[in-house]
Amino acid sequence: MTYAAEISRANPSCFVFLVDQSASMSDPIGGGAQQRKADVVADAINRLLAELSVKCAKEEGVRDYFHIAVIGYGHTVGSAFTGPLAGRDLVPLSQVAEKPARVEKRVKKVPDGAGGLVETTTRFPVWVDPVANGATPMCRALSRAESLVSDWVARHPDCFPPIVLNLTDGESTDGDPASAAWAVQTHVSADGAALLFNLHVSAAKAVPVMFPDTDVALPDTYSRTLFGMSSLLPPHMRFYAMQQGVTATDLTRGFVYNADITSLVQFLDIGTRATDLR
Amino acid sequence: MFTSSLRTPKQGNSLRECEDVAHVLPASAPETWLAEPVFAAVADGASESLLAGDWADLLTRSVIDATRDDECVLRDVDRFATALVDAGEAWRGWLADYVATREADGRPIAWYEQPKLDRGPHATVLAARFDTDSTSATRWDVAALGDSCLFHTRDDRLLRAFPLESAEAFDNSPGLVNAFNRDHALLARHVRTLSGSAEQGDQFFLCTDALAAWFLGAAARGDQPWHVLSEFTRSGDPDGFEVWLKKAREEGLMRNDDVTVVHVDLG
Repeated sequence: MTYAAEISRANPSCFVFLVDQSASMSDPIGGGAQQRKADVVADAINRLLAELSVKCAKEEGVRDYFHIAVIGYGHTVGSAFTGPLAGRDLVPLSQVAEKPARVEKRVKKVPDGAGGLVETTTRFPVWVDPVANGATPMCRALSRAESLVSDWVARHPDCFPPIVLNLTDGESTDGDPASAAWAVQTHVSADGAALLFNLHVSAAKAVPVMFPDTDVALPDTYSRTLFGMSSLLPPHMRFYAMQQGVTATDLTRGFVYNADITSLVQFLDIGTRATDLR
Repeated sequence: MFTSSLRTPKQGNSLRECEDVAHVLPASAPETWLAEPVFAAVADGASESLLAGDWADLLTRSVIDATRDDECVLRDVDRFATALVDAGEAWRGWLADYVATREADGRPIAWYEQPKLDRGPHATVLAARFDTDSTSATRWDVAALGDSCLFHTRDDRLLRAFPLESAEAFDNSPGLVNAFNRDHALLARHVRTLSGSAEQGDQFFLCTDALAAWFLGAAARGDQPWHVLSEFTRSGDPDGFEVWLKKAREEGLMRNDDVTVVHVDLG
């Protein structure tokens, strides 16, 4: 059975995040929101890293079930961490959790228990700042991810396969990214092939799409290319996607268009889930 | 009756990190015969929770205390649900002390801990009472929420498995008691109870999920897993048990998880 390896400190897995930091990321996201694509992507990365840290947190600290790289691509291709982790690629999750660049306070609205909403302040750690500068060397970024993944599975041959998550507006400027994307997924551990997922943030005013099983509803060539590059969701991830209301089939791919991808963290198994009774 | 228990962390974790808990009253050595009623409970803290082992510990102690005060607690889902809510009340005090201690130690709650502390820890729980009368007949009562199990065996037969009856019934989202759950009716809906009688010579095993799933799988294949467990519990041999568990995990017979068993031997 594939994609069933235990994720533990003795047998960790890795996440490689690829962050599009090209000039086009300064355009606003579609759908009426007033945010720039670069802001949306930086927020998504920071939320994903926070969710992963919380998921793996225990009393003594965050357990190193994952090692994390955040690679930016735009003016250059390299580590997108800011703060104490600047310049580093694969970092144990415990160090990620302990060393954000800063922890901001953000206001969010939560249910007040009486059908309304009330404002509350939460701590929001930041590791990656929005950047929009230069071209979109997506092929080089995918090659960098492939190199990290290749090295990881060589050192951890029994691991849950590495996951590469590419966050982009889709407009590669150094060639068709399909073959570089395929190359990432040729690296395998005993538990299966590396997974490549994509979050497409677009200025187009199209309907957000989460984990589709076809590209027919996607609005342009870029989104269809990214959909085609994305791995099929393994069965257990499809199961968790369905629990969150996604209609997942055998053909569902790890692709999200202009929507929140933080739920991906909930697709990972690190032990008994802390699920409330219903 | 004789009682004994074993508790082992998942492979790769230390005993301090084990989030399974067993609690037996009266506490006694495995070779000590107990004529009075015995109370036993096991709980399995959810890996994704923070302080799950501490919650499991408080939960087992609370439900045993409640059962000692009122023996009907294990026969009535509403009373057992009340015991679970009361344990949650006790957790609030425990947590306040914990947070204060962390502050005093210069190690305040980190940003990544806060969301889990706010949600509260989750655990399964199973509690049982065994009472033998002057004719050597034993009445037993058990209540559970989640996938920790009780097995009743006689000679070469598995008489009863509770609350799950097959290895296929286990998954990684069992019913769990959350320390902040005050919804009495909801808890009661998920509680299962069972009572029965037993004879001298009968055996009971209270197991957390990985061991329980192995037990049921082995029994379904026609094996007698209770004899394997008895070897380790009667001799109080944690090292031998660990070696056996390692082999069972390597052979794919058991999931790598914390393991706890309480053995109640009616002699």
